Amino acid sequence: MALVQLKEVTKEYEKVPILQGVNINIEEGDVYGIIGESGSGKTTLLNMITGFLQPTDGSVLYQMDVTGPARDLSVDLHKVKKQIGFTPQHNSFYPQLTVKENLFHFGKLYKVPANTLVTNVKNLLTFTRLFEHRNKLADHLSEGMRRRLDIACSLIHKPRILVLDEPTADLDTNLQREILSLLQQANKQGVTIVIASHHLDSVEEICNKVAIVNKGNVFCHGLIDDIKKPFLKENVTITLKPGGNKDQVLQLIRRLPVEKIVDKGATLVVYPKDIQQTVSGLLQLIKEQNLYLNDMDVRKPSLKEIFEMITKK
Amino acid sequence: MRALLLLTLKNLKLLVRAKASALIVVFAPLLIILILGLSYNTSAPYGLNIGVYSTSFTADVESFITTLQHDEFKIIKYDSMDKCVNDIKLGFIHTCISVPESLAIESNVQKEIVFHLDPSKINLVYMIQETLKSKFNLKAQQLSQDLTQNILTQLSTAKTTIGDKKGLLQTAKDKNTAVSSQTDTIVSTLSSLDLGVSESTYDLAVISDTGSKVSTALDKVREAKTAFEGLNVSSGDTAVLTAALDEAESKLKSANNFINGTDAGTIRSLVAILEADLTSLKSKLTSASTALGTASTDLGTAKGSLNEGVTAIDDVLSSLNTLQTNLESQKVTDASTISAPLITKIEKVGPEGTYLNYMFPALLVLVVMFTSLLLGTTLVMMEKNSPAFLRNYFLPLNKVTFIMATYLTTVLLMVTQIFIILGVSIFFLKDSVGSLPYMILILLLASSVFTFLGMGLGYLFRSEETGVLASISLGSIMLFLSGVILPLESVSPLLRSITFFNPFVLAEKLIREVFIFHTAWSGLWVDLLTLFGYMVVLFLVILIAETLLHKHLVHRFLKHHHRLHRENDKKDTGKV
Repeated sequence: MALVQLKEVTKEYEKVPILQGVNINIEEGDVYGIIGESGSGKTTLLNMITGFLQPTDGSVLYQMDVTGPARDLSVDLHKVKKQIGFTPQHNSFYPQLTVKENLFHFGKLYKVPANTLVTNVKNLLTFTRLFEHRNKLADHLSEGMRRRLDIACSLIHKPRILVLDEPTADLDTNLQREILSLLQQANKQGVTIVIASHHLDSVEEICNKVAIVNKGNVFCHGLIDDIKKPFLKENVTITLKPGGNKDQVLQLIRRLPVEKIVDKGATLVVYPKDIQQTVSGLLQLIKEQNLYLNDMDVRKPSLKEIFEMITKK
Repeated sequence: MRALLLLTLKNLKLLVRAKASALIVVFAPLLIILILGLSYNTSAPYGLNIGVYSTSFTADVESFITTLQHDEFKIIKYDSMDKCVNDIKLGFIHTCISVPESLAIESNVQKEIVFHLDPSKINLVYMIQETLKSKFNLKAQQLSQDLTQNILTQLSTAKTTIGDKKGLLQTAKDKNTAVSSQTDTIVSTLSSLDLGVSESTYDLAVISDTGSKVSTALDKVREAKTAFEGLNVSSGDTAVLTAALDEAESKLKSANNFINGTDAGTIRSLVAILEADLTSLKSKLTSASTALGTASTDLGTAKGSLNEGVTAIDDVLSSLNTLQTNLESQKVTDASTISAPLITKIEKVGPEGTYLNYMFPALLVLVVMFTSLLLGTTLVMMEKNSPAFLRNYFLPLNKVTFIMATYLTTVLLMVTQIFIILGVSIFFLKDSVGSLPYMILILLLASSVFTFLGMGLGYLFRSEETGVLASISLGSIMLFLSGVILPLESVSPLLRSITFFNPFVLAEKLIREVFIFHTAWSGLWVDLLTLFGYMVVLFLVILIAETLLHKHLVHRFLKHHHRLHRENDKKDTGKV
């Protein structure tokens, strides 16, 4: 059963369409990625899922319980929003309160029972590895800690769905990995996660489903594997030795059954007609011609590549 | 309620943790009231530097300067008017007074004392004018008193002279009256004189008849004698008869001569003389009669004149009497009273106190107004611009809770401030302890109004700087139109009528009435209700504004952060 359903959702600003006819289902337990270029409309889509924005047309429905009917967010916003945790692009807590004070403040305002709140705070401090910093002013935390605190604040009332807008933006690789790991753990604890991001690698890493938004349209959505299927063509990436004869290598590869060769400077991406023939032919060439290559990688196309392919169409 | 307390507590924590805010909230009012207390807890006169210019510093001018120096004005003498005026411009002195070298009034020309003031120091101008006016009035009164005394002395002399000379006039009048009366008697006497001559008493025909008869008798005698002679009568008889007839004839002849003769001594001549005399007398009597008539007429005229004189004397006497009565009825004979019948004496309707007593209500409301306005604006701005603003959207709380939390935070801080201010003020204003509870209530009401005004500005403006600027501007406008800086009486009637609804004016009036005059609540309810009405209306306005603006604010907030991230994206080339 879909926890969140977007039915023919359209959003216009001053009669200019920003999003058109979006139909998405977010299931309980999903880690749902909304990906798209800057300005594609993904934040608008996210804001409509959280209820910040009302759709110009269509509806956003929340299935609050198994038996009951789905609730229209525009009608039951006050009831539904208790089930939503939202982590916006920027930090969303009081910098002049300590980590613990922020968590207690929002927990109390969500009317979490006192005992539960104490446990929640403790668990979240441990979960986000902020326990040691619990008495520090939020303003004095590092950027990674702040992002973790923001997520902790969003989870303090144990929402069913956590919506994050660019959670890894402006973070270095280690911090990105840290946040993604945190989200995966949260998901394992039963929280449905919706992420809007343009860090496609990150999205691919943790999401089971994605919706690709391009120019106000959801180009495709669903399980990542299903999205990849039409684009599922393996390729071979050859990394040349610096100073090696690239033209000679290209000439030899063209003798093989290849569909396309993409020259990326230091690397050549070879799209074979038949992967096995091409790989064995390549290995034979290396042996016969005594070609010296730095690396050769055989892999499936990434979400990023698929996204690039889609957006270039 | 719990949420309200939580939000309030959070607001307080945020304010206190910002060191500047803590300083403003706790120490600023303490500092303000301490400074004001130390500055104005005095009843000493204003420290004014006064320049005095005169062509010559005579005794009069020096006496004038001495009068001013009694009030601890610092007097600087100038021998050049230009230098004196220039020093006003440079701020060395507050006013320049041009004094004539002599203040004595010797003709109907008034002496002129010229003030030179810097009109740009508008608050000081009124003060200097008021302060010095009393001094000038005193001096003018002294001069006026001298002049009046002089007039009074003259009047007194006139009164005495009138008293003295009135007896003489009365004597003159009496004499005139007596003369008039005598004239009447004379006229009457003269009128009774009969100077007419009766003509019948002088009938000369009788004399002629007598003469004729005597002549006839004489003739008869003669005829008798003739006849006698013809008769033969004895000689003896004849002789006797003849002798008798002769004698008769002689006597008749004599009588006839006496009567009809023309000689002097005859009756006729006597009668003629008498007649002539009578004619003469008659003529004289006629003249006398004419003279008498003229005299009578003249006497009548004289009497009339005398009567007029008496009437005039009566008038003069009456006027003198009236004058004397008037002069005597003039009870005010003291020159100082006449020269200054109305003495300007300022009776303070409240208890005597220092400047702080009188300034305290305005200062108190001033502090409350600015602090409430600024706190209201700052707290709304803090919340609006806080990173947590978006998260609050998801909280299961009513908008009223947020508004009330902001209000409650301000009120709590204001209560703290009011207690600090009033606590410190007790040190300076010991007699006002009784009115403090009422003042606290009024201040809380005023604080609520100003807080809502400040909050309204907080919602209206985008950045904290402009919001705070707007709060200060609004406070300044209310202060300017309150009569604290400039008297309200100097503004246009329309604006003046509007200013009576200025919350600052209402609050200041209420505090003044409670603090200085100890007015009962029953006399304050209209203003209290007005203030309360403001509070309710402003709360509703803010509630509506918040409801209308909240979504807009959230969108603006989202847009702002989204734009920032897009800018970051552009810098990050490794991303999609």
